[in-house]
Amino acid sequence: MNLERIKPHFPWLTLLALALLVGIANPSFLVPSSLLSLVADIVPLFIMALGMTFAIYIGGIDLSVQQLANMVTVIATVYLAQFGASVAVICILAGLLFGAVSGYVTNRLYVPSFVSTLAMGFIALSVAKYLSGQRALYMDATLRDANFGWMFGNTAGVPHELVIAVFLLALAWFLQKKTTFGRALKAIGSGEPAAVASGLNVVRVKVLAFAVSGAFAAIAGLMFSVKLSGGDANLANGFLLLAIVAVLVGGTPLTGGVGGVINTAVGTLIVMVIRAAMVYVEISATQQQMIFGVVLIIAIALTIDRSKMQIVK
Amino acid sequence: MTDSTMMLPSVSRLLSRERLVRWAPILVLGLLVLFFPFFEWLMDFLEGKGHAYLFDSRFFSIRNAARIGIAASPGLMVAVGVTFIILMGSIDLSMEGTVSVCAVLFAFVFLAWGATLASWAWLAVPLALVVGAAMGFVNGLVHIWLKIPSFMASLAMGFVGTGLALILTGGDRIRIEDELFRSLLTERIFNFPVMVYVAFFFLLVAWFIQSRTTLGRNFYAVGGGEELAHASGLNVERVRLMGFTLAGVFFAVGALLAVGRIGIAETATGNNFLFISITTVVVGGTALWGGIGGVWNTLVGVLIVNVINNGMIVIGLPAFFQDGVLGILVILAVALSVNRRSTSFVK
Repeated sequence: MNLERIKPHFPWLTLLALALLVGIANPSFLVPSSLLSLVADIVPLFIMALGMTFAIYIGGIDLSVQQLANMVTVIATVYLAQFGASVAVICILAGLLFGAVSGYVTNRLYVPSFVSTLAMGFIALSVAKYLSGQRALYMDATLRDANFGWMFGNTAGVPHELVIAVFLLALAWFLQKKTTFGRALKAIGSGEPAAVASGLNVVRVKVLAFAVSGAFAAIAGLMFSVKLSGGDANLANGFLLLAIVAVLVGGTPLTGGVGGVINTAVGTLIVMVIRAAMVYVEISATQQQMIFGVVLIIAIALTIDRSKMQIVK
Repeated sequence: MTDSTMMLPSVSRLLSRERLVRWAPILVLGLLVLFFPFFEWLMDFLEGKGHAYLFDSRFFSIRNAARIGIAASPGLMVAVGVTFIILMGSIDLSMEGTVSVCAVLFAFVFLAWGATLASWAWLAVPLALVVGAAMGFVNGLVHIWLKIPSFMASLAMGFVGTGLALILTGGDRIRIEDELFRSLLTERIFNFPVMVYVAFFFLLVAWFIQSRTTLGRNFYAVGGGEELAHASGLNVERVRLMGFTLAGVFFAVGALLAVGRIGIAETATGNNFLFISITTVVVGGTALWGGIGGVWNTLVGVLIVNVINNGMIVIGLPAFFQDGVLGILVILAVALSVNRRSTSFVK
């Protein structure tokens, strides 16, 4: 077995090694029930990262996901009473719309996605502030439980968030692997001029990729909103960089065309293990941020597959 | 998209077109500067008040220009630093951490060595610059030695920096009350505070490095085509390392100005520099894929964003609209200055 063949397996090997290390340091980390609840806690971040994977897979980036999630928490809270469970449809459509506009601005107006998605995020923030009147809003508890109570809770020891996460992962995997859309994404990520030359409608595919990213961000926002029982223009703050980190650590480089949604699942778990580990090995709160950065550098150095990158920029 | 059939008959038109695209950021800035006073004039006109356009404007006044200058100076330094990196086609996302660490360390040393610029405490200023350089250097080493793309390496180094600042302060704020140091803000020469001149001085330094030194040329060479630069004997890795170190120095200058502006150093001093500095660089017309643009573009970009932010407040736009309007105007500014003929696709 040579190095080239095990390279693609580095991300999950890193995950396994990290989990074992923490388990040795503190065996209570590996108790299944606590592991399950740790994983369940990170599901909204995972969904956000899942969407972001599509943007990064084509060599772009989506910096609007955090603000989209913020906006959706407000939309969900404001319109829950009026529309009931179908407010979810409105939320996802809003995410799709913002994502599609980001994609349009990037590909038709030639604004780099780094700036276009950031700007769309500002617009989403404005919408959130306007709808919420710049206050923190609270959901009616009975309405919330009646419409979205199924999102949280346990069945036979399995948290419902986990079921949702697995379902969305399967959906994203299907999109990426089994549809022409997914194939087109890979073609664009690997080499855009070649994709254009072979007659692919590159712009349509890229707009769709950003729309998918927006829709997933909206689902994440909806989960935040139900979980915290409210909406606020700042509710999801702090998740953007973590979502990017989850995608990158999983082994989907910013150059595109390599990696994918399964990698993101592994990457999110790595982020979770690192963060949980600091609690389990009792690192003080002020030191956690720095240690997180250092471990992150090690994790990235271990997981990224450099054979597909000619130049490291 | 290149349209080869159109190329030959319209060479002269293409030239003027390219010139137009090059000057687009300045045009946008000019339009904005004229637009906000126009809005003020329109409001007064509708209310029937007498208002001489530009002369009676609250936006178009020296006082307000100074206000824009104060708000823009720290951000300009950070943006100039990252401009060098973007010129090389890389990216640096570590500025929030570097700014925080430099600000906090500066404050600690400054207070410990005498708490006024008139004593040995002035040494804290060069020390902050050295710390910035060291952090940039480490950032570059992580990127080059471990062969991690700069986006990820610098993002993680940013976490390390913010974390380090947090450990140093334990979450406390450090006040700098030395009047001599605060004269960065309080002392005015020709109506503008000293910090604006300091920022301008370092902008000139950056311009000198960019256009009059080998290092500056090498940034463009690496950004224009790394393989070619490498093939022609350039030590690309050394250029990159120097670039990240230089960026660290400018982040440190930004940190000093940020502390000078509010008189407080804390872990949060670096907050919000990350996305806004890269946005301003792009708005100024520097290409994210490298080789095009420079520090003057960055000045224009920083001014555009700060004029928009200031103008929205002066004309009394409701607070919840301001983020959205900034977003729309940033998209418009970048969209106007992109040369669609030389861009086949955008990432």
